[in-house]
Amino acid sequence: MFDSWKNSKVKEVQYGNLQATAVQAPVIERNNVFSTTAFAFKSLWTGLKITMYYFLRPKTIVTQQYPENRETLKMPERYRHNLKLKYNEEGLHNCTGCKICETHCPNASIIIESTKGEISKKIEVDSYVWRQDSCTFCNICVLVCPFDALEWNPDFESTVYDRRLLVTQLNKYAGPPAKVIGKMDDEKKESQLNANKEKYREKYIGPNIPMNGATLAGVSKLGDSMDKKGGGESNV
Amino acid sequence: MKSLIFIVSLLLISTGLLAEIPQVVTIASIVETHYQNQDIFKTLFFIVLPMIGALTFITVLALTLVYLERKIAAHFQCRLGPMRVGFHGILQPIADAIKLLNKEDLIPKDADKLLHFIAPFIAMVGTVLGMVAIPFAPNIQVIDLDIGLLYLAAVSGIGVFAVLLAGWGSHNKWSLLGAMRAAAQLISYELSITIVLVVVVLFTGSLKLSEIIYQQDSLWWIFKGHIVSVIAFFIFFTASLAELNRTPFDLPEGEAELGAGFHTEYSGMRFSFFFLAEFINMFLACALMTTIFFGGWLPFHIQGLDALNSVMDLLPPLAWFMLKTSTLIFLMMWIRWTFPRLRIDQLMKLEWKFLLPLGLINIVLAAIVVSFKWYFFA
Repeated sequence: MFDSWKNSKVKEVQYGNLQATAVQAPVIERNNVFSTTAFAFKSLWTGLKITMYYFLRPKTIVTQQYPENRETLKMPERYRHNLKLKYNEEGLHNCTGCKICETHCPNASIIIESTKGEISKKIEVDSYVWRQDSCTFCNICVLVCPFDALEWNPDFESTVYDRRLLVTQLNKYAGPPAKVIGKMDDEKKESQLNANKEKYREKYIGPNIPMNGATLAGVSKLGDSMDKKGGGESNV
Repeated sequence: MKSLIFIVSLLLISTGLLAEIPQVVTIASIVETHYQNQDIFKTLFFIVLPMIGALTFITVLALTLVYLERKIAAHFQCRLGPMRVGFHGILQPIADAIKLLNKEDLIPKDADKLLHFIAPFIAMVGTVLGMVAIPFAPNIQVIDLDIGLLYLAAVSGIGVFAVLLAGWGSHNKWSLLGAMRAAAQLISYELSITIVLVVVVLFTGSLKLSEIIYQQDSLWWIFKGHIVSVIAFFIFFTASLAELNRTPFDLPEGEAELGAGFHTEYSGMRFSFFFLAEFINMFLACALMTTIFFGGWLPFHIQGLDALNSVMDLLPPLAWFMLKTSTLIFLMMWIRWTFPRLRIDQLMKLEWKFLLPLGLINIVLAAIVVSFKWYFFA
């Protein structure tokens, strides 16, 4: 008979240099039918109490009436749907184009192009392409990023009629991260920011030409914005 | 003349004035009177009217119970349940019923067509037959049988046939396994139920449901018979949970292992018959428990306390009956959404090693209590 895990037996174990505490699983003694029955009823009552607790408190309900409460919808803090680069107040991201996330991505959903910057003379991100259509939302990219550049955006309404629209470019500009720009002197910084504005990136990089030569709103034609490789899908 | 009494009594039921009349006017007695008077039209009228009434009642009751089950289950699990159709999803069961009726009625290729076809109807017949003997209020009862208790115990066994035939006729290994489990389970727990009914008969000395109710005018049996009654009620409640295939005893239809068990191969209307029968059976079991332990439609009376009794009389008998029955139904739902399913060996152990010995001891206790008149208001 046990009441809580605190009463269970604890044993100190030594493995070489390692010291560990082994907890012996509590065993219900079954030699007395009356105490066993009493224990059974007690545990059943515990379960009934828990369900009744939630039944009597409608505030604990977690269901959200989605289409109706679209304005006031509350998404969980750690909900993963859209990968996003973090931007500070000046609109600068932290991505240095080191490609650690690209090498760690288990299904090659991240493709990064990085070049040597003309002003900063350092490696900087040129295009950060994320393929939502092949992403499994495993969170590895966010975990491995040494510069804390990535985060999840809970906007989950990403329904599109063409899955090529799910191949997006995360960086809004091609340029060095906020840390590098912060170290520059004023003149250099201004020219860098102007260069950033020129190298503005559209969201949809995607497989550039829609199938059969048709055009899609929001999808730029090949060569219009980026003539880089567009997320791995071969063009028709 | 009796039909006039019946109609007047229906009008008076809401005031509870008829609670004191010991002569029970049932539909069966009215039909008998007209038949003896050779008044064929009135006889037919009083046969057809209760039939339509019963059909409507059963349908409405089943739909209500389905809605309540879903809603209560949702709230136990921090969900909202059906919310879209009507106010708080109140029309959801109707939408479900329409959907089920419109579905294709499939019969598996190698199934035993006859058995597969009649099984749901047998389930429904057992349910409706049980409904016949339940006293809802002083005069709302189809037939007041002298052997009402025995009749109900017998009729509740028909459901086992339906489950067995459905499992056997489906030509599906999971259905068959479910049916075998159901047979083992229902036959085992039938014993406990019958033993508890024997205790009740020992107390009341009658099998007639109306008489059992009138005897509880001083106090309900659950309080009158103190320990013996409480043990009897506990056994009856547990065993009827098993009889109804409800969690924690829902092995015959265990979704996880058997994929709905005996009704895997059913669809459309005949599936809905099983579904309906299941919910009405729950109501039946709770109504029977109300009748034999909680005084049926009687208000809460304590002999001698006239002030309390007159206050309790304010609520009409039908409301008392429904209140008690729905409380028991809620208890069943509460248990269903709290406990996990038992294993088949645990199920058998509970019955044969715990409930049955307890029931047998309880019979001896009841015999002692009755013979020395050690219960209250003897």
